[in-house]
Amino acid sequence: MTPPSISPPAITETAITGPAIAALACEGLSKRYGELVAVEDVGFAIAPGQAYGLLGPNGAGKTTTISMLVGLLRPDAGTVTVGGVDLAEDPMRAKAGIGYVPQEIALYPELTGRENLRFFGRLFGLPRREVAGRIEEVLDLVGLTGRADSRLSTYSGGMRRRINIGAALLHRPQVLILDEPTVGVDPQSRKAILDGVERLVEEGMALLYTSHYMEEVERVCDRVAIIDHGRIIADGTRQELISLVGSADKVELSLDGDVDTALAKLRVVEGVIEAARTGATSIRLITEGGRYLLPSLITAVDGCATVTATQVVEPDLEATFLHLTGSTLRD
Amino acid sequence: MWRALVAVSALELRTRLRDGTALVIALLVPVTLATLFSLALGGDDPPLRATVGFVDLDGGEFPAGVRREVLASEELKGSVTLRDLPSREEAARALDADEIGSAIVFPAGFSRNVGDGRGGDVAVLTSPRSPLAGVVARAIVDRISALVDARTLAVRAVLLAGVPGDEVKELVERNGAAGPALTLSDDPLSGGKVDLAVYYGSGMAALFAFFVVGASFRGLLTERKLGTLDRMRAGPLAPWVPFAGKAAVGFTLALVSVCVTWAASVLVSGATWGDPLAVFAVLLAHVLAATAITMLVAGRVRTDAQADGVIMVISFVMAFLGGSLVPMHNLPEVLQGVALLTPNGWTSTALTELAGSGAGLAAVAGPIAVLCAIALVAGGLAVIGLKKGMLL
Repeated sequence: MTPPSISPPAITETAITGPAIAALACEGLSKRYGELVAVEDVGFAIAPGQAYGLLGPNGAGKTTTISMLVGLLRPDAGTVTVGGVDLAEDPMRAKAGIGYVPQEIALYPELTGRENLRFFGRLFGLPRREVAGRIEEVLDLVGLTGRADSRLSTYSGGMRRRINIGAALLHRPQVLILDEPTVGVDPQSRKAILDGVERLVEEGMALLYTSHYMEEVERVCDRVAIIDHGRIIADGTRQELISLVGSADKVELSLDGDVDTALAKLRVVEGVIEAARTGATSIRLITEGGRYLLPSLITAVDGCATVTATQVVEPDLEATFLHLTGSTLRD
Repeated sequence: MWRALVAVSALELRTRLRDGTALVIALLVPVTLATLFSLALGGDDPPLRATVGFVDLDGGEFPAGVRREVLASEELKGSVTLRDLPSREEAARALDADEIGSAIVFPAGFSRNVGDGRGGDVAVLTSPRSPLAGVVARAIVDRISALVDARTLAVRAVLLAGVPGDEVKELVERNGAAGPALTLSDDPLSGGKVDLAVYYGSGMAALFAFFVVGASFRGLLTERKLGTLDRMRAGPLAPWVPFAGKAAVGFTLALVSVCVTWAASVLVSGATWGDPLAVFAVLLAHVLAATAITMLVAGRVRTDAQADGVIMVISFVMAFLGGSLVPMHNLPEVLQGVALLTPNGWTSTALTELAGSGAGLAAVAGPIAVLCAIALVAGGLAVIGLKKGMLL
């Protein structure tokens, strides 16, 4: 499915040139691998105390973008500034403002939680007399004070995720970059992580957040960019993005029969904007006036499939995402 | 930045000591193998034969006595052959062509000078490719030196006593210093056995230096897999810190390894590697070169299997071609040339020279310079490669 041609909204003036210097800003970021365009002309700015979500299907360019933001990849074009400091010109000072939490648990399993934090604290230049105190603060922040002296290999998945975030907070960064921070954790740990992240943002930390979980992004982020095929195709607040799909509704259909043929027939029904297969027997539609369109939809598939269940959902961020990218987040 | 470097090195050292690999690869295995080689090759039968060139420009009684003693020696029979050569230049040519293993050169007028109490110098030409022949030649010349010293002293004493010059020779000979009564030591080949112990001891040290350094660089791959390398690179520290921290530990452990192997060789076989300062300088330069080469190659691997394979291949290829496993003089001529493309070849040459000749640092300045140049080139290429991959 070809994504609809929607120009990304211009980055707001306040975000880039407003009175406060952006905690993290990038402009015109591009990266190519031979003929493959991984990222093209990506730009956004995150103010202190702002939580910014980066949404996109796998292979959309999220990880490449983050790698360029934290200095792991050199962009072919474009600039990154952290608190006004150009990453290319003064990488040490710029990186001092970034707390990067990679998707994997980037810590040493044979060390204890405290030993891991002490190592990264020293590595990131914390003064010797401050290290112990700062470690206690971070352990308290991520709720692991009681398990600080256990080896990481004995931690649960959620505890590892929390200490993974803690290691990025040691040097008091201006901006926290979280790449899929809740993958594989139980609901309780996920809640603890999201609560902690929200608290940090309330205290003035800027946040760049990527996740497969749309509800997390909707909860934590006050601004979201949707990235696909290496480009930001939409950028705005939740309401601004949802308004891009107008009054469209999401219709979930469960079918029995030839689902592919049914999908082709549903696409041409008047009022259907987008259609995507979401499972072996399920199809998701973005429609105008979905509730009233149901009889036409059922009639359209008559002969090749039978509708066994329907659900009509009001527009939300996921519907917008589907509308803009033509795929689900887990594709 | 030094604190960050110390933090990386301390963690690497702790990891290596905790998993036990450092002790096994750096100490246990090289010392054991070096000892086994020493014992296996230190038996009663000399494993090698040697041809010693004999240049007699004197034509007097001393060279004749030496020839007589060598041919009469039971210990040298079947092992050492004397080959007469017309000049020192011809002896040097034959040595370069490996036609002889060493040469003894009696200068013109040697016997007359000794007879007159002026002493004299006998030249010994040796080749690191034939340590046994060198040991034999030096054993002979040591004995000659002792005789010359005794004879010279006696002549001078007689002259000081006021005996006329034309009666000195007769008086000295009549009183027990009648010509060169050369007697070779009990077994002049014993030095050759010690030399082989040094040869294989240093070979094991040179081989395992690569393994020890390789293990540290393999640690970089583990860091990459854990994601901790990216975490470090995204942090506020100079990009060279993780590499330098690992390299420092690999270098230090390898240096400890070669020094312990050296010490064990000396203690177990009683071998003398030569001037300690010069030996240490050669080992230091070797470890430096091994670190740079391993960094160059291991910096490009992406998987555990690749890392293991690459470290194994580098270590053994360098060791085989460089004479760490098979003495260089036993290699075909082509491979002897190839040996000098490896740090092991230069290390082996330098250590054999030190153990064989008893020379000092100046004698091995050339090999040390070559080893440092190898380290510089390989290290430079490694840094360029890492910078290109944005790892530095």
